[in-house]
Amino acid sequence: MKKLCLLLVMLVGSVSLLIACGGEEDVGSHSDASENGEGNGESGKGDDVLDPVTLTWYLIGTPQQDLDVVMEEVNEYTEEKINATIDLRLLDWGEFDERLQVITTSGEEYDIAFTSSWANNYSLNARRGAFIELDNLMDEYGEEMKELIDPAFLEGAQVDGKLYAVPTNKEVGQQAVLSFNNELVEKHNLDISTVNSLADLEPLLAVIKEEESDVTPIATFDAYLPFDSILQEEMPFAFRLEGNTDEVVNKYEEEATMETLKVMHDYYKKGYIRPDAATSTDSWPLETPNWFVRKELYQPYAEHVWSRSAGYEIVTRPLHEPYVFNNSVTGSMQAISNTSENPERAMMFLNLLNSDPYLRNLIDKGIEGVHYEENEDGTINDLPARVERFNMPSFAIGNQLILKLYEDEPADKWDAFEEFNENAIPSPVLGFYFDTNPVRTEIAAISNVTSEFSPALLKGAVDPEEYIPEFNKKLYEAGMQKVLDEIQSQYDEWRDNQ
Amino acid sequence: MHILLGSFAFLCIFPFIYVIIISLSSEQSLSLQGYRLIPEEWSLEAYKYLWQVRSQIFRAYGVTLFVTIVGTILSVSVIALYAYAISRKQFLYRKQFTFIAFFTMLFSGGMVPFYIVMTQFLGLKNSIWALILPMTVNAFYIIIMRTFFQRSVPEAILESARIDGAGEFRIFLRIVIPLAIPGIATIALFNTLAYWNDWFNALLFIDDPNLVPLQSLLMRIENNLDFIRQNAMLSTQNGSILGSIPQDSARMAMVVIATLPIALSYPFFQKYFVKGLTIGSVKE
Repeated sequence: MKKLCLLLVMLVGSVSLLIACGGEEDVGSHSDASENGEGNGESGKGDDVLDPVTLTWYLIGTPQQDLDVVMEEVNEYTEEKINATIDLRLLDWGEFDERLQVITTSGEEYDIAFTSSWANNYSLNARRGAFIELDNLMDEYGEEMKELIDPAFLEGAQVDGKLYAVPTNKEVGQQAVLSFNNELVEKHNLDISTVNSLADLEPLLAVIKEEESDVTPIATFDAYLPFDSILQEEMPFAFRLEGNTDEVVNKYEEEATMETLKVMHDYYKKGYIRPDAATSTDSWPLETPNWFVRKELYQPYAEHVWSRSAGYEIVTRPLHEPYVFNNSVTGSMQAISNTSENPERAMMFLNLLNSDPYLRNLIDKGIEGVHYEENEDGTINDLPARVERFNMPSFAIGNQLILKLYEDEPADKWDAFEEFNENAIPSPVLGFYFDTNPVRTEIAAISNVTSEFSPALLKGAVDPEEYIPEFNKKLYEAGMQKVLDEIQSQYDEWRDNQ
Repeated sequence: MHILLGSFAFLCIFPFIYVIIISLSSEQSLSLQGYRLIPEEWSLEAYKYLWQVRSQIFRAYGVTLFVTIVGTILSVSVIALYAYAISRKQFLYRKQFTFIAFFTMLFSGGMVPFYIVMTQFLGLKNSIWALILPMTVNAFYIIIMRTFFQRSVPEAILESARIDGAGEFRIFLRIVIPLAIPGIATIALFNTLAYWNDWFNALLFIDDPNLVPLQSLLMRIENNLDFIRQNAMLSTQNGSILGSIPQDSARMAMVVIATLPIALSYPFFQKYFVKGLTIGSVKE
């Protein structure tokens, strides 16, 4: 009996010993962080020498082999500038959302995190207090950055009138384009300059279908609809971009939707779209030239980027003017966590990241001579090391317009971005974020109905004249009207406060 | 009868054969014709790709092997010790300890508390122990082992050992363990499988690319593909991002090398397997 007890004690002892061993490293860094926190209080701001701190930064993207090497250089530089070192943690695309959710709800301490409309949901997190409000901090420590970032970003990214994250300066507008496989265009002498809408494609598709048996004319896409969607793209709630823009509508009741989907279904019947389009999740890799036309989101000179990764030329035709949507301004941002012990320093770092070309290029392109080489005219070329071991998601990091250009890129690329941004039309609901809390159950029900109908409809697989009425009937049974009313009242209130 | 069983067995392993075929198809024929039983063009390209990223894969293999071996040994020892204690009628607190284990089968704390305990109280973030410790004790296996000890180790043998002068430790190591080998092997197999296949703990606790196990590597690749397909926002960047992710045949090749070793280890456990399960599953 006694011996059994002893055994248990030994067991418990040995397990806790193991745990202690594993935990040692982390405990150490924890006490570091708290010392820094205390230190920061005394130093305040201004001309005093800043105490050293370490900033934890969660960024989306596949972990890279050479990250440590580059971060060493980065830290040398940031230490000198703002006496801070950066602990950059790259979390892969598919797991970022889930990880950050757990990290946020567990109240873990970190400083900066990537946030956007499509990963680590910005407006949701801002509303529930996960991020700190940045307006004052930005005025104090973010002067240089504020001047560089397009004002449309800073305006559109405000949730309830306050800014909770620093938007990445890039293309502010969103523009859907049709992109064509130029090899086929030239081979059959097709004229794409007349294509301005989905319906204009018909004669071209007919030729491809007739002449090229190995090619699927349309690489499966969702038809473009002229609305600004509240919540996800396929959900029915939306504001019109033209006409009466002050009224929230069910986009599946609109004439424009019916017309477009009829065209899609017509194409489907004629065999321009793959028969399993509605259910297939196969991607259409650019490298495989088995398609004729596809739909993409555009940024200036995107066709160069696409052509380079495809290995053959790709040409584009716009479907509409570029619009500034909530989704496009919140496409890539960095927020400072509510649990951060050094928000001022985090802001100083973000300021540096978005305004200092040396730092921005270092984090993005790696070390000169190791990851890239610079030509005399200031353009660069990748070395094999960058392609193999340091391939960072450029658009997710910060201000793109201070990045070095590649040798084969047009010299006026960033000017074109600025022009594109100036010409983009603000959506009527830019800056309006819908609070879903009052109608959560209805939205869940509507979401179920939507996922049942919308893939088949939007990809043209079913007859819209038959299915749209049925779809709408089910939407209203699921509580559509209540949600529409709620959006309308929130929108009216928001507009009155503008 | 044999033909019937034979074809059933073939149906069971057919998906795996299919995976091997896909891993040996050329990428071009996959994207043009889809999956075929006999592809237009055979290719070793996928395995060449894996060879290119071998440092990462070997590392992941190493992590998985370490976690599986250390984890299984640790886990089996803890489970056997715990189960043996609560299987002995002389142990005064057996009811309480049984209840403590049993209770966790009914209620769990949920993911966020689990995360808080692991990272903030135990400080196990980015540590290899984060992959081992959460799965060390499994209440269900404890109950199976307890029943197994009660059934296959007669009290009389323990009695005679005690009369011959053996202490508790000696009884456990020399008599109980050898008698319980089928049960222990069964639990060991379960644990090996669980550790080998685990990806979730790595998803939660591991940022360091050097500590990512094999299955988690696979899972990440699959998740990334899904995620990028579903997010139109990424489309302008698609070229470069999709380019960094292995294509179909390479993914299947990874499945092959991740599954093969564990599938091959099955026969070694098999002779204990049936016996261990049937005895262990009877509960009182």
